[in-house]
Order: sequence, then C-alpha cells, then structure tokens
Amino acid sequence: MSARTSLINAGNTPVTLRLKKRRRAEWRLKAYGIFAITLAMLALVALLNSVVRNAAGALTESYIELPVTLAADDIDPDATADPKIILRADFGGLTKRTLRAVFPSVKARKAKRELYDLLSNGAGFELAEMVSKNTALVGQDITFRFLASDVADLYLQGSYGALIEHTNHGDLTVSLDGDTATVSSSTPDFQTALDGLRAELLQHSAHLREQAAMQDAGVVEFMRRAEAATDAEAKAAAQAQVTARSAARDALIAQALEQEQRADAGQSGEDLTKSSPSLLINTAGGWIKLTRIEADSGVGEVLVPLKGESSDWSLYTTELPEDARKVSDRQIAWIESLKQAGQVDRVFNWRFFTASDSREPELAGIRGAAMGTFWTMLVTFSLAFPIGVFSAIYLEEFAPKNKFTDFIEVNINNLAAVPSIIFGLLGLAVIIGFFGVPRSAPLAGGIVMALMTLPTIIIASRAAIAAVPPSIRDAALGVGASRMQTAFHHVLPLSVPGMLTGSILGMARALGETAPLIMIGMVAFIVDVPSGITDSATVLPVQVYRWSDFPERAFEARTAAAICVLMGFLIAMNALAIFLRRKFERRW
Amino acid sequence: MNDMKLAEKTVDQTDIKFSAKDVQVYYGDNHAIKDVNVDILDKTVTAFIGPSGCGKSTFLRCLNRMNDTIDICRVEGNITLDGEDIYDPRVDPVQLRAKVGMVFQKPNPFPKSIYDNVAYGPRIHGLANTKADLDEIVEQSLRNAALWGEAKDRLQEPGTSLSGGQQQRLCIARAIATKPEVLLMDEPCSALDPIATAQVEELIDELRQDFSVVIVTHSMQQAARVSQRTAFFHLGNLVEYGDTPTIFTNPEDPRTESYITGRIG
Repeated sequence: MSARTSLINAGNTPVTLRLKKRRRAEWRLKAYGIFAITLAMLALVALLNSVVRNAAGALTESYIELPVTLAADDIDPDATADPKIILRADFGGLTKRTLRAVFPSVKARKAKRELYDLLSNGAGFELAEMVSKNTALVGQDITFRFLASDVADLYLQGSYGALIEHTNHGDLTVSLDGDTATVSSSTPDFQTALDGLRAELLQHSAHLREQAAMQDAGVVEFMRRAEAATDAEAKAAAQAQVTARSAARDALIAQALEQEQRADAGQSGEDLTKSSPSLLINTAGGWIKLTRIEADSGVGEVLVPLKGESSDWSLYTTELPEDARKVSDRQIAWIESLKQAGQVDRVFNWRFFTASDSREPELAGIRGAAMGTFWTMLVTFSLAFPIGVFSAIYLEEFAPKNKFTDFIEVNINNLAAVPSIIFGLLGLAVIIGFFGVPRSAPLAGGIVMALMTLPTIIIASRAAIAAVPPSIRDAALGVGASRMQTAFHHVLPLSVPGMLTGSILGMARALGETAPLIMIGMVAFIVDVPSGITDSATVLPVQVYRWSDFPERAFEARTAAAICVLMGFLIAMNALAIFLRRKFERRW
Repeated sequence: MNDMKLAEKTVDQTDIKFSAKDVQVYYGDNHAIKDVNVDILDKTVTAFIGPSGCGKSTFLRCLNRMNDTIDICRVEGNITLDGEDIYDPRVDPVQLRAKVGMVFQKPNPFPKSIYDNVAYGPRIHGLANTKADLDEIVEQSLRNAALWGEAKDRLQEPGTSLSGGQQQRLCIARAIATKPEVLLMDEPCSALDPIATAQVEELIDELRQDFSVVIVTHSMQQAARVSQRTAFFHLGNLVEYGDTPTIFTNPEDPRTESYITGRIG
C-alpha cells in the first residue's frame, strides 16, 4: 500500500522533481519569447527613431527676403504686359543682381559664386512666375521671399555645426586697410582659441611621431634583412629600403619638431588654417574672419563691411573647420548678417508634399512618386483582387480534384516564391515588348505587380475559403442552392475578410517593391506628377532609392521623409485591412 | 425499453414515395452500400438504425444526391421519387433538393438573421412574389417548426444567437420553407440535450402530417418513439426493414435482435 502524498508538502519524489523540470522548461520558453519580442520592439524603435529624426530636416524650408527692383527694361522692354514674354525674361540674372546689390563688396568670381549659392536655382523661376501672374508689378520695387538653397537651409538648421559665441571680452579696436582688418582687444580674448590651436599642433606632432616610429621599425627590419641577405641583389634592395625609410622618418620627425616649436613659441601668434575651426568677429554690422591671432590681437579678412564703429562686438567660433563643411565662412557671414536684419525665415515645408522630383534638394517633393504609387497600386488591386479571388473560388469550390489541378496548385505556390525581378523581366518582354504598354507607366508597373501579388492573393483566398465550415455548404446545398449560389451567397461573404487581409498584405509587399520596376523603366527621373495610368511615373520606394544615391547632403533628410511617407502608406493599408476585417467578420 | 409506445405505431399509408432498387455506393474502392432495396412510404416517419459506419447516413445522402459533392463517391442502382429516377441525367440535383429537404446532425444555421435563414430557400426558388408572401412562408415554416413563439420578436437577430435546440428547429423550418415532399434528417438530435430532443421529436411527429420523413438515428429509443417504419443497416447491407413495432418486438434476423438488445454495435 502506497501512502498518500501531501499536495502541499510533497517532498522530493521523482514526480515532484519531474514537475520542477517541466516548470523550468516552461519558464525558459516564456523567457525566450519575451526576449525575442523585446528585441523586435527595440529594433523597431531604433529604426523609427533614426528615420523620423533624419526626416525632421525635410520638414522646414528657408526663405531669404530681399528687395528687388523689377526694372521694366530688364523684364519687359517692349511693355507688352504679356505673361509669356515676362516668363522668358532673365530672372536668374535679376536674382544675381539683387544679391550683389545687397552685398556690393563682393567682387571676386569665387566669392560671387558663393554668394549666388545662397539662393536656390528655382528662386528666379518663382519670381518670374509671380511677376507673370501680376504684370502690374513690372517697374516697381518690391520685396520678394527667395527660396534659400539647400546649403543655406542646412546651415540654418544647424547641420554644419553651431556658431559658438565667446563671452568675457574687453574693448576692441579695429583698423582697416582695404579688405584686411587688424583688431586688438584690451584683454587676451583670443588666448583660448590660441591654446586650442597649439593643443591641435601638439596632437598633430604626436601623430607624426607615431608615424616616424613606424618608419623607424621598418628601418631596423630592413637593416636586419640586409645583413641576413645572401645574394647581392636582395642586399641592395633591402639597403635601398633602409635609405628611403630613414629619409621618411627624418622628414616626419623634422615636421613634428617644427610643430612642437610653433606650439611652444610663447606669445607669438598663430595662423588659422581651413582645417581648424574659424574665428569670426561681428561688430558694427560687419563680419571679420580672423586669419592670424595672438593672445590679444589678430589680423582678419572683412567678409561683410563694417558700418562705422561700435564698441559692441562678439567673437564666434564655428563648430567645424571650414573644409569639413559645405558652407563657407563667407556664406556664414552673409547668412548671419541677413538673419540679424530679420530677412531670413523658416517655414513648414509644404513644397515637399506638393512638388515633384528635382535635382535641387530644396525644390524636390514627394507628390510625383506618391501619385505614381497610387496609380500603380490602383492598377494592381483592380487586376489582382478579382482575378485572384475568382481563381481561388474556382480552385476551391468547383475544380475537380485531379492531377492537373494539383499541378496548378503546386505551381501557384511556386510562383509566390519567384524573385520579383523575374516578374520585371516578364513585364519587359511581354507587357511592354509584346503588348506595347507604354514604358515607365503605372499601367505596366501595376500589371507586373499584379502578377507578382496574384499567388499571394490566391493562396490567402483559398485558405479563407477552406476555413468556411463545410456545414454551411451542406446547409445551402440542402435547401436546393446551386453550387454557384452556395459559393456566392454563403462561402464568399464568410471568406471576404480573410481574402481582403491576404490581398492587402500582398499589396503591401508590392508597395515596397523596386526590383521589378527597374526592368520596366519606372526607375527614372520624372518631374511631372502623373495624372493617369499611362503617364510616366515613379513610385515611392524607387524615389527613396534614387534620393539615397544623390550626393547633396539635403537629400538625406528628403530620403528619410520619403521613407516616412512610404511607411504612412503601409500603415494606412494595414489599418484598412484591419477595419475591413472587423466590418465583415461574421461568426457562425 | 418500457417507454416505447409501440402499440401506437401504426402505418396507415401505402403510397410509395422513394423506391430504391439494388443500390450500390462506392467510396473509391470501398463498397459502402450493398444491394439495398427499400420503399419509403409517403407521410410516414421511417427510421434508419444501425451501428456506426453501417452506411445509413450514406444511403440517406443518396436520396437527395448530396453525395454528388463528394468526388470519389459513385452510386449505382436505381432510386425513384414518385416513379422518376432521381439519377437520370435530365434531373437537376438542385430541383431534387428543393423537393427533398435535409436537416443535418449539427445545427448549421447560416450566419444571417433568423428571417433570412428561413427565407433563403423560398427566395432562390422564387416561391414568393411579394414581401407579404415571403413573410407568410417564413411565419408558417417557423410555426410548423414550433419556433414561432420564441422567434417572432427577434426575426432580425442572427440565427446563431439561438440555443442549440432552437437552432436545430430553425434548420427544420429552413428545410420545410421550400415546401419539400420528403424531409431527410441525419441524426438531428445527436447534438441536443434531452429537452430539446423531446421538442424536436414531437415536431417530427407533427411533420408526418405533411411530409414523408426519413430519420437516421443512433438512438433506438428515438427510432421506436418517432418512427412507423424502421430499417436496420449493418456493414452496408439492409438487414431488415419493416413496421417499427415488429422490428423492435419480433425481429426476423438474429443480427437485428442482437443490435436492439445491445449485443452488437
């Protein structure tokens, strides 16, 4: 007779030990699950965070307000007041003249080019458009908000580092000699900058000495080889190496020594180079860029002329050296002086949602690609959904179960796994080549995407149909419904939610697809917003792909913003799938 | 088996509704029904009894050609309804099923309203020309199925919101709404509790006034309670067929006796 074991105090019997083991296994499984989900969540958060943060830069655009003289001689010399003639006038030149009028001291060619780079290439067109719409403006003096260039906009966003202001300074005296200004302060205001420069010199010399040490190691090694060498040729080669490397080592050490001496030179000044942060002085409405500093004085170049004299002055350091940013010190000085005059403003970038693709980042927008995606998806859905659903109904409800239908089924499943670029090849050869559908058009893209999505839709729809309980079919057949009535009155309504979910998931896959579109020419630079399914178009993922390839830094933010729009599309489609499923779901 | 009121079971009908001659049914290579000969009388409840897998449901499904939906199923022999061969190529199974209604083992109302459940058959067969006609048919069918009292105030509620017994009566109402001549019932009470079973059995007895009813059942008590004629199937053969009192009190075949006394099956 076995004694009854207590439920509360069972002790360590084999049964309880096995139970503990089971508990542990259960706990481990749960832990793995939680770990996996946490990992996925973190990845998602990191992804969204990086994309959204990058995209924030595309949210604003900058405008520079400048006075323009719309001289009739320039714009409309014959006084036609014809918008078409006005549109053809040289507004680009006018824009440049306007800029030069604001900064009359700019004379050098390079400086002029930098000045013109403050405004977008599209700014002149915008002015032309405004004047052509309101011809009464010809001959007047107006202020116009010119669109700032991508570089100016990025600087205003702080992408090229901030301008750091120094505090605690004495009185400044400026003596001008043409474009060169000599400044001196009553206190050693430039000491900090000087120390920074010297620290940099020491750092650099330390780096040079490291390299010299490496060369020295090479010298030792090749000397050893030269001694060990048996034939004369190898010995000569090693000797040559020793000579070359000693020379390189000595040159490096000499350079390091020179830099160390400069850093040690006590009170004497130091030159500022393009690879060290720039020092800018703002006084009396003008800007001076320092080229050489001592502890309490310096020599600089006047970037924006001073208006009279003022005891107020500020000293700024740029966060990045000039050769590490695209915006030059001159441009910074111009932008800052315009900003001080209140002529710069930043607004929400509506243009991004209303404009189409452009080579100029500040002019580029997402509308063309979004409309292309819309048209392509429209074609895809209106082809793939009915064909897919009817194929599924036929295969599931009517087709005889034989070898042939088995063969078809296997091939549909195989098609779902075919790489999408193959569908692109098919589209190129058959849809464009044979049927003559226009290239680069949403129609061609939509057909290819439909072919690609069909297997997914058929498989999902068949699963949805198969999930309808057979008792419903029996019931319908039992009251004398034909097979078609059974399918359409009873099976279809019950399987529609599943079909829609499957279709929308398939569409979501097509939405993010680029590869097949490469083959049919939808990877193209298209400036017009497509207005139908036969216009040339591109789609969102292709736009992302193209922008990510452009060298302009401002496209980085545009790329991220385009990804956000694409994700918006995806979320909207998934939300629609959930909504439809909830709406049509019926219980039995 | 004291509760069987066998004395009341009399057959006052002689009109033959269904007549089956030498019926063979194959599922692929499996010979499921062998040489079945049976005449089913009009306005009579006929019960098919027998152990599981004996072919009684298969034979029942031959009577309205529901076996057509199974690809591997093959029916041979001759089944006539009022003298017409129902397997004749000119016969449309849809037409046949309108005449021979069916109630299934598990209540299977459509996921629609109670009204639409009952109205579906008349709608697809065009039995009602106006909304009023349709309302009339729905009401009559629900009355005949003894569900009108419970359902009349909730006709627009889904059929699936009813209880199991009510759902089965709804299915009966749906089957009789197309005005069939024969009602086939495949174990209609196997998913129901005793109270619901009693209600359905009572209903079957009333339906006998208008229809010929064929019922497949596992419960011998049920067969004894509701039927006038009983057929005993065993291993695909029709072993014995006769008046219910005779089968239950004085079976000819020893297998029948073994089954009803609980020794086989």
